[in-house]
Amino acid sequence: MTRINKNNKCRQIRTWLYKTMSARFAPDADWVQNHIANCQRCRRRMASIGKVNLALSIIKSQPHKLDLLMRANTKAIGVLKRSLREVPKAQRLKTVQPEPKLLERWSRYKHAATNAAACIAIVFLMKTGVFSSMHKFQAEGQKAIRQYYTAQVGQDLADEIFSA
Amino acid sequence: MAGKAVSYGLIWDFAIAQSIDESQRWVLSAMQRYGQQLVTMLWRVLGNEQDVCDAYQDTFLRLAHYEGRRRPEHIKAYVFRTATNTATSMLRHRSAESRVIGRHFAKEARSGNPVSSPANELDSKYLQETLRCCIAQLPEHLRSVITLRDLAELSYAQIGAMLGISAATARVYRCKALQLLAVWMSKGKEKGK
Repeated sequence: MTRINKNNKCRQIRTWLYKTMSARFAPDADWVQNHIANCQRCRRRMASIGKVNLALSIIKSQPHKLDLLMRANTKAIGVLKRSLREVPKAQRLKTVQPEPKLLERWSRYKHAATNAAACIAIVFLMKTGVFSSMHKFQAEGQKAIRQYYTAQVGQDLADEIFSA
Repeated sequence: MAGKAVSYGLIWDFAIAQSIDESQRWVLSAMQRYGQQLVTMLWRVLGNEQDVCDAYQDTFLRLAHYEGRRRPEHIKAYVFRTATNTATSMLRHRSAESRVIGRHFAKEARSGNPVSSPANELDSKYLQETLRCCIAQLPEHLRSVITLRDLAELSYAQIGAMLGISAATARVYRCKALQLLAVWMSKGKEKGK
């Protein structure tokens, strides 16, 4: 238990440290931006790193032809042993097309699922909240009326009325 | 007697060959599992469909002939590292070829278009090729990390497991690789001027 608490505390401290450090020393920090604006050397450095990032993004954004996987598989299977080449799986691989990942495929339903989950959560909270409050009100009201009757007509009569 | 021995030998050889073939189906499974990711990575590294097919073929051929046709312990790591190395050697070969051609046409280049110009700076093809050449020149440990992280889009944890380093080390290597690439790319620009 103590170990878990300690770990949680460590994690919290790490998170705070990271947040503080990144707020103070991240490239977006004001003093860094001010320095870069006035320092030619840093400006050059930032520009060259930006250029590398730009080139990487361009490379990543270039699509290849849809049949590239099929062709690559066909070529690779072509140099394997004949017994492997004739396996049905190999035949399937020769005609396979790139498919989006499961997460990407379901990402279009992400918003709808989030909305539905939010609605369910709201309904659940409302139901539990409303019903528990109603029970509370009922109990409190009964208690108040019993007290009133006890004060007005006496304990015995009040007990008789409310026990019935 | 001798004929019987020969026939038994043939049957034995056939049985071994069959068992190897059966056991080598994992090559096809690996192709099915990692093929798409591998093709994407090779395409980003090489940028040429023919080269992608060659590198892909070479990778799986090596996998099929790995240490007496045995299955490597970490297939994913083996496949990705082999593909990265093959693609890098192809890139180096390509850049060496272009240097030879460049020397051949040096006179024309001097009189005509400069290697690096503001127009070229914005030219995406120029940027891509420069970056590819620079990546090929990186030390192996930095190159592997930047290729697997930025071009194969694997997580740091996966890269660490593949290369036998921690995720934090992989992060540091990527940072160093980016710095080196930035320096080299800006130097290339200055040389061009």
